[in-house]
Amino acid sequence: MATQIVMDHTGDTRHTFDPADAKALLKAEQRFKELTGAGFTAAARTSAGDPNVIRTFDPKAEETLFYPRLVGG
Amino acid sequence: MSSEPLQAAPGRLRALLSGGLRATRAAWDWFRELGHGNDSEARSQTLLREWLTPEQLAQYDAYHYFDVTGGDSGNRYRIYYGTGTNIHELDEAGRPKTGWCFVPRDCLAAGDVMLAQKIALEANERVALAIARSFAPRWTAR
Repeated sequence: MATQIVMDHTGDTRHTFDPADAKALLKAEQRFKELTGAGFTAAARTSAGDPNVIRTFDPKAEETLFYPRLVGG
Repeated sequence: MSSEPLQAAPGRLRALLSGGLRATRAAWDWFRELGHGNDSEARSQTLLREWLTPEQLAQYDAYHYFDVTGGDSGNRYRIYYGTGTNIHELDEAGRPKTGWCFVPRDCLAAGDVMLAQKIALEANERVALAIARSFAPRWTAR
């Protein structure tokens, strides 16, 4: 199973899906595009555990984290 | 002099307190619905801890801050617990050199803010600093 984690006012919302399920994968890709299109940044971790910003949907990513657009404080 | 006001006082006080409690509870429910209660904070801390390296986690547990290395410059930054003006760039001696402030646009709990700042500095440092506002850091330990 793979997870998309979206930061929000509740802490986060998690969407779990089976990457082997074509329909679920399509929905996850759609969610990725919607969130990044709305200004969210997507990040995944490398095998070494380092965070990596990703610009396109990675169907192999086990966990993708989305955080809202950053602004100067 | 009538003692009526004094006799009625406990009842009125009870009604007043009861009304106050109801209003407080309603305000708290509303506050929690907006996600500002302890749940969002706890969830954000759980998420942050999942993404910290073992070294960062140990540091965070001990001091309520953790250090990250800028992905582009190799500079060291210290992210303190908080939701704003909580990042210090450190010099070679580990002293605060410059304060940086950038935060997610949406209102998020501290753990989420700190995690977004960590990822931005480690994986997208130049962009993060281009957005950030700088400030003079305080020299005293927080």
